[in-house]
Amino acid sequence: MAVSDKGESEILRADLVARLVAIPGSTQPEERADGLWISGPLLDVEAMAREMKSLGYRLITITGLAQQNGETALVYHYARRRQYVSFRTSTRGGAIASITPILRMASWIEREIHDFFAVKFAGHPNLVPLLRPPGVKEGFFRDADPGPARPEKR
Amino acid sequence: MPYTVPIGPYHPALEEPYKLSVQCSADTVKSASIEIGVTCRAIELLVQSREWVPAVTLIERVCGICSNVHAMTFCRAAEQIAGIEVPPRARYIRTIVAELERIHSHLLWAGVAAECIGFQTLFMEIYALREQVMDLLETISGNRVNYGMNRIGGVNRDIPDPEPLIAATQAMAKPIEKDIVPAFMDNPTATKRMRGVGPLSREQAIEWGVVGPVARASGLEIDIRIDRPYNAYKELGFKMMTRQEGDVQARVVVRALEMLESIRLVTEALRTIPPGPLRAFEGVPKIPPGEGFAVTEGPRGEAFYYVASDGGRTPARVKIRTPSFVNIPPLEVITIGQQFGDISLIQASTDPCVACIDR
Repeated sequence: MAVSDKGESEILRADLVARLVAIPGSTQPEERADGLWISGPLLDVEAMAREMKSLGYRLITITGLAQQNGETALVYHYARRRQYVSFRTSTRGGAIASITPILRMASWIEREIHDFFAVKFAGHPNLVPLLRPPGVKEGFFRDADPGPARPEKR
Repeated sequence: MPYTVPIGPYHPALEEPYKLSVQCSADTVKSASIEIGVTCRAIELLVQSREWVPAVTLIERVCGICSNVHAMTFCRAAEQIAGIEVPPRARYIRTIVAELERIHSHLLWAGVAAECIGFQTLFMEIYALREQVMDLLETISGNRVNYGMNRIGGVNRDIPDPEPLIAATQAMAKPIEKDIVPAFMDNPTATKRMRGVGPLSREQAIEWGVVGPVARASGLEIDIRIDRPYNAYKELGFKMMTRQEGDVQARVVVRALEMLESIRLVTEALRTIPPGPLRAFEGVPKIPPGEGFAVTEGPRGEAFYYVASDGGRTPARVKIRTPSFVNIPPLEVITIGQQFGDISLIQASTDPCVACIDR
């Protein structure tokens, strides 16, 4: 660890990269203007969440992107002061492990992606609709034109 | 006998709809749960069918209070993908509008807090002061909300004569410093309603990933203006406001002190605004294939925009993470053990913006 100019410890880049690469399914990070990016189609997201938590990173959000093959690309964005790390991976058969049991803040984020892209987050303690209006099917962000909501008859 | 009180989604105290259900025993809250999504507009989806210029207009409608932050952050993400360098004068103008927006948002919230604690005279004073900020924003942009200042590559409007704005901005400092800050910090009526109420510890703040004034009131030193300086914050310098108590009063005081720092930033930016062009290019932006994100410090905290482009006329994907989306969930823990009568104040202390959350 090194001491930053604001007196708060920051992780040396070499140490950080070594820890990130050691996550199962991870690859060598790419340096971009908005931080480090790691692409791992078979990334172990639970191991990633545990490692980022131990490194003191906070989860900003997860971005979902519909793929042509029916899967959803997921980008996990983390921050620790001025250091940003993004992991890009993909669902497997429309599902992926939930990281909510490890990072509490992921709960709403995963519920939102479930609403928008119909991703099943295995192990999420409460995967109920968050933002999806009644009458709109889950995964409606996968359609270019999802059409109007059709309220269910009671 | 335990009982449950459903607060919302529609009620007179909070104009935006979300539902907070609190389970109480006698007058003490035992648990709470939150439901959102009443006004989901699917703006992320809609913007994928807007060309890059009208996309900015739509994005600005994410929120009616911090509209500028959303448009600006979206533009910054697109500029990053395209490698567009925003001219210095435009960076200063973006800073001025962003800080005026922060003052007006914090004043709006301070007024709500004053009303929640039954301090009507303070509420009236704060809202009268807020009108001065709204007048300034209207002078600069022509609008009281949805200022339309941002465009990809710079800003749409100049500030041709900063001098009168400097005096008007500085005129706001005295009432904030002499009246509003002492009222929230020292007035016995106010402090008794706020001190020790709705505490969020530093550990809880980390666990829930809160941002902005809510995080800083719990002792977390996070502020994008310092962590990843953008616009003109590096040139202007910036002092972060933090408190350690983590209660309602700490959240109020952090926002009150931030207003004074914002006034200093606006004044300094108006004094030192450099000459030069307002935008990097004229005409319609061309965003090449790529992806990237931008973060900015909005009034409620970190606003995050991920943008992907396939080189076409519209964004391929826009992901929005608003600060309220992470600041509201901890209400499920900070209300536990609190008096039922304090619930409205506690939930208001997170400065919830439901339009932002639901998008």
